[in-house]
Amino acid sequence: MGEKIGIIGYAQSHHQYEVQKTREDLVFDVVKEALAKAGILREELGTVVTSSTDFLDGRTISNVFLSMAVGAFLKDESKVEEDGTSSLMYAVMKLITGAYDVALVEAHTIGWGFNPHQVSFYTVDPLVDRQFGVLNDVSAGALQAKMYMDKYGVSEGDLAAVAVKNLGNGAVNPYASRRMADVSATEVLKSKMFFSPITELMMSPITDGCAVVILASEKKARSVCKNPVWIEGMGNCQDPYLRDRNLLSLTALKKAGQAAYQMAGISDPVNDLDLLEVSERYAHEELMICEALGLAREGKGKFLVENGVTTKCGELPVNPSGGALCADPICATGLVRVVECCKQINGEAEDHQVSGVKKALAHGQFGICSQKNTVIILGGE
Amino acid sequence: MFRNCAIIGCGQTKHTSKRRDVSAAELAAEAVNAALVDAGITMKDVDCVVSGNMQGFGGIAQPEQWLGDWIGCAGKPAIRIATGGTTGGSVGQGACYTVASGMYNVSLAVAWEKHSDSKEAGATTGLAHVGMGNLFHALAYGLSLKNLIATTAVGAAAGVAVYQARYYMQRSGCRQEHLDMVAAKNRRCAAKNPYAHLQWPNCQPEDIAKTDLIAYPFRYGHVCPASDGASAIVVAEEKFARKHCKQPAWFKGLASYSDEENQLQSENYGGVGVIDPSEQMGARVSAMKAYKMAGITDPQKEVDLAEIYQPFPSQELIFSERLGLFDEGTAWKHMEKGETDINGRLPISVSGGVNATNAIGSSALQRILEAALQIMGKAGEHQVPKKVKTAVAHGWGGVTNYITFTVLGDTPRG
Repeated sequence: MGEKIGIIGYAQSHHQYEVQKTREDLVFDVVKEALAKAGILREELGTVVTSSTDFLDGRTISNVFLSMAVGAFLKDESKVEEDGTSSLMYAVMKLITGAYDVALVEAHTIGWGFNPHQVSFYTVDPLVDRQFGVLNDVSAGALQAKMYMDKYGVSEGDLAAVAVKNLGNGAVNPYASRRMADVSATEVLKSKMFFSPITELMMSPITDGCAVVILASEKKARSVCKNPVWIEGMGNCQDPYLRDRNLLSLTALKKAGQAAYQMAGISDPVNDLDLLEVSERYAHEELMICEALGLAREGKGKFLVENGVTTKCGELPVNPSGGALCADPICATGLVRVVECCKQINGEAEDHQVSGVKKALAHGQFGICSQKNTVIILGGE
Repeated sequence: MFRNCAIIGCGQTKHTSKRRDVSAAELAAEAVNAALVDAGITMKDVDCVVSGNMQGFGGIAQPEQWLGDWIGCAGKPAIRIATGGTTGGSVGQGACYTVASGMYNVSLAVAWEKHSDSKEAGATTGLAHVGMGNLFHALAYGLSLKNLIATTAVGAAAGVAVYQARYYMQRSGCRQEHLDMVAAKNRRCAAKNPYAHLQWPNCQPEDIAKTDLIAYPFRYGHVCPASDGASAIVVAEEKFARKHCKQPAWFKGLASYSDEENQLQSENYGGVGVIDPSEQMGARVSAMKAYKMAGITDPQKEVDLAEIYQPFPSQELIFSERLGLFDEGTAWKHMEKGETDINGRLPISVSGGVNATNAIGSSALQRILEAALQIMGKAGEHQVPKKVKTAVAHGWGGVTNYITFTVLGDTPRG
């Protein structure tokens, strides 16, 4: 990357179902906190990129009425209808051109308004799949899980182990919405079944939440911030439509990961990375994501969990915050991962702090079965 | 560093009220294919796809996930950008930033709208949903001043534009017959544009004046149609652009400064409050910033052509002033003299503009596309009879508060 771009401020909401605030109030509080953390005023912002979708927000032109909440009025402003990590990528590109030197990236989803699983039903092919009425994100996720389990001999217990790890991590994360201490694999397997093998605790909860990241050019970042977190690499890729792709392989994520690794000069992710925060909407996805990012060979992801490699105290912790299984405000989920990585790098994660994190990877996904993926590599000084 | 980049290929579809012969996917693909053919490249040359439309209008959530395969997203970096009426402008600017930043060498921008897929015209149901989120909140937690305002301040675009036009007419002395003249010009120009929707060869102001009054000052003949259509552009970095295109249209300046939402939202909501929707501070600031970036000091002299987002004729007048092309309150006088006609001093929206063709998500990208066509000399029958060195493209949306503004030129940035 030509120019260095740093993160100088970040904040997230206390994620929960039914946040009991208007969307504008929810966003405003988080933006205010992030600006305070960055130590800058609204006047210093150059450009603002928000992230939400019209269907998930349940309104046409979902960024309308947000201009004031995010401080975007009379500022350069745009909205990316994707995961927040895509907005972050777009903002970084805007900063690299030198057109602006500070960018605010905001992402939110209010899950209680419109059921996100119902919304996912409207993303499938309207001419064929919508008419059948069978596919949505959960049923397609279950198909993917089944295929993965059959091909690689992964058991339901292995998936439950992922949920147990992440729910345990999330229990001490004050921002998580699903906080359940000491959940056992049996409880995970016995929770409500949606589509076999996916049970309630194996899938992410419907959540209201918001995350904000403030980016700055190198010069500006160094002048206002003691410990900026640098964007070292980023990659983004989209897979073909559900019916036209091999659900067993997260090809788009592999490509996005390779692009980001190449940009960050990472050849051996297991040794070069200190921590990963990934958006796993279902337990099996964490295994598939780890494999696509090169942490394990295909189908061997379960051994990472089994051997404790990815636990909070393991060699390469994955989702010490609890991940998306503990809070999933759809558009914001990826940006929450970025915020969590920044906290880990700056040693601010308190109870779920991992020691000695210098380089971290944040992953965001969008669409059914992780169709679109963004990978961001973050590094401290 | 802002790396030089240019538009090297443009493609659009024929616009009509109902494109029954194609699905939304095929519609978008039609424009993409035309743009690739125009640029003389294939999808293999494209590094990144930026796409957008207004998802509520066609009733498909995140349509790029389904139709991504048709527009070349599969296996490529893809970003979806949508900002209401300005969607196309934001998509075009997005493609510019992806290349200007050095992340990608060639980007494809595509925007579309297929109104006829929804049961009612998108602009009716779609825009009624602007305040929907607040309505749900009000139903669950009771009404507060804030969400009351948000649900009342929506109105379809015509509802907002009527107020806007009245403010402008009051301030500038412009009369209803001037709106007839603008609309007639746009219908006439559209007749020369094979892709335009409302074509009316030799339309005269008297013809427009005969149509029914809808809401003063707008007559039926003033109002834009709801079109099905798509447009696409290919944006490339300097070396690639020079190799593949004789006369690329270079990006020289761009900005998308938004204003506060207008109407009723006075100081209790968040700030200064916009009472007059024809004020358009966002447009003024966007223009100022983009001209500065492009090195333009006197837009009245240096701009050769403008493509303005004008669903209603009053907006062509309002925005041409706010974008610095005419002095405050004088646009209608210049228009009356024929200066904004196809052979005039400063031709405005000679493609017929949004007034003649409105596939909402795509409309603002079409402005960039049409401005580029004039610079590239490919506009065909509606090519203006003079050399176009600098052309500007404008987009407008939201609750009158979003603006995109792009300055294109026949030479790269210095």
